[in-house]
Amino acid sequence: MPTSLAKFLQRAAITATSICIGIFAWAVFAANFAYPDLVPTPLETLKTATQMIVSGDLFNHVGVSLVRVLIGYLAGCIIGILVGALMGRIKIVGQFAEPLLQLMRPISPVALVPLSIIWFGIGDMSRWFIIFYGVVIIMIMNTAAGVAATPNIRLNAARCLGATRRQIFRRIVIPSAVPYILTGMRVALGFAFMGIVAAEMIAAQSGIGYLIMQSRMLLRTDIMFVGLVTLGVLGAVIDGFFKLAIDRTMKRYMEYQVNI
Amino acid sequence: MGVDPVTNTANVARRDSAGSSVSSRGRDSSWHELTLEGVSLTFNKGKANEYRALDGASLKVRRGEFFCLLGPSGCGKSTILNLIAGFARPDLGVIRMGDRQITDAGTERVVVFQDASNALFPWLRAHQNVEFGLSIQGLSNASAATRAMVYLDLVGLKDHANKFPYELSGGMKQRCQLARALVLEPEVLLMDEPFAALDAISKRIMQKELLRIWQHYRMTVVYITHDVNEAMLLAQKVAVMRRGPASAVKQVFEINQAYPRKPTDSAVMEILAKIEASLEEEVGVSLYAD
Repeated sequence: MPTSLAKFLQRAAITATSICIGIFAWAVFAANFAYPDLVPTPLETLKTATQMIVSGDLFNHVGVSLVRVLIGYLAGCIIGILVGALMGRIKIVGQFAEPLLQLMRPISPVALVPLSIIWFGIGDMSRWFIIFYGVVIIMIMNTAAGVAATPNIRLNAARCLGATRRQIFRRIVIPSAVPYILTGMRVALGFAFMGIVAAEMIAAQSGIGYLIMQSRMLLRTDIMFVGLVTLGVLGAVIDGFFKLAIDRTMKRYMEYQVNI
Repeated sequence: MGVDPVTNTANVARRDSAGSSVSSRGRDSSWHELTLEGVSLTFNKGKANEYRALDGASLKVRRGEFFCLLGPSGCGKSTILNLIAGFARPDLGVIRMGDRQITDAGTERVVVFQDASNALFPWLRAHQNVEFGLSIQGLSNASAATRAMVYLDLVGLKDHANKFPYELSGGMKQRCQLARALVLEPEVLLMDEPFAALDAISKRIMQKELLRIWQHYRMTVVYITHDVNEAMLLAQKVAVMRRGPASAVKQVFEINQAYPRKPTDSAVMEILAKIEASLEEEVGVSLYAD
């Protein structure tokens, strides 16, 4: 235990130092090289952030954005896993879907904003769709890859133990794809956070993306920085918790990946 | 302990499967001999990388026999095993158990693979791996667990039943695979170089364990190896295969020596020399001369 505690402390120290160096570099740059209105110092950003926290503004924006991210993300994960599993299981579906996916992959969520407005109007449905789109493609690709990558030996082992095709899919193929699916979900979470700004370009009245867009009109780069930092912190913290949850509950599915 | 694990096993299992004993099933007249007749198989037919693995391979394995397939690498040993297991089907020829043709995988022919890390289900504990086949057969969790524990005990893995495969050593993984196969009471145990990846001592221990289990259950064993000495210690019959491509069974040697055998027994060494001569001829290299 002491060695693992020491390891943890060491990691924490490195993380803290790394963040401090980043902030210091930002401060030096803002104070000496940049035009003051264009790059706020860390201190100014902190002041603005404190004001926004005290007024409750920041939490409102964060809450609204998080709900949007969550809805789009979950829908994308569920649909993505289902479609990906189908693609991996039924060869012909995979072969037909693959080229379409490759064509859709380079289209960024931002490029879909105008279309989304025409299709779904300027309500939340449009925003969910933008985030959903970014998530679903990754989830389809990862799930399909995971399903297709089940080792042949494992399939044969299940066959000679008497499992039917359906049982093999449910009890062997899906668990085998879990590491791919979970990795996909972590990557997709990042994409969901990237998508939120694009999503909130659509006539939003609140949310982090809205905050960032709005502060451009007012030339309030300090607010803009608060929004950017919030996005970064939010994404990193949620990913950290996600990773922790995977390590705690999904270890049996992940461990062998390293140990083969 | 004091209780012979094998006898113990037989008793518990007998109670569990309502009268049908698992012990000494080799004497069961419903068991069959295994035959391959003129079996040919070509991979990637019609493509640039077409490969003719087997061409007219024939062999006969009597029920309860310990049968080794021996040959240089790439000679189609594993292909034959996959065909017997029902994972693949031959282009020509037939594979039969008794007079029933083998067309698919079945629980009366269970395989123990060399690559245990992939063959065991990594997200299941050792005992859950062993229970897998039973739960497929619709056994309740409780009786599957009881049965599995009997076989884990038989292979000496009882104390590690709760471990995940990645927590087991190479030898223990193979014990787990063995228990997973035996728990289904297969007629034929198909073993694809099961101990090839183990260190020398673990290998010897596992060979001894396998012999002990086989001598008790008397299931038919088809055992693939490229190691002449291993074949000498284990098999009643050794089939030497031709070098691929278009391989077939070249010659079958009978070894009528009692177990346990010592590599230094003169009779064993005599047959060993014959088998090695047969292999040398196939490989085209003398193994001992300069």
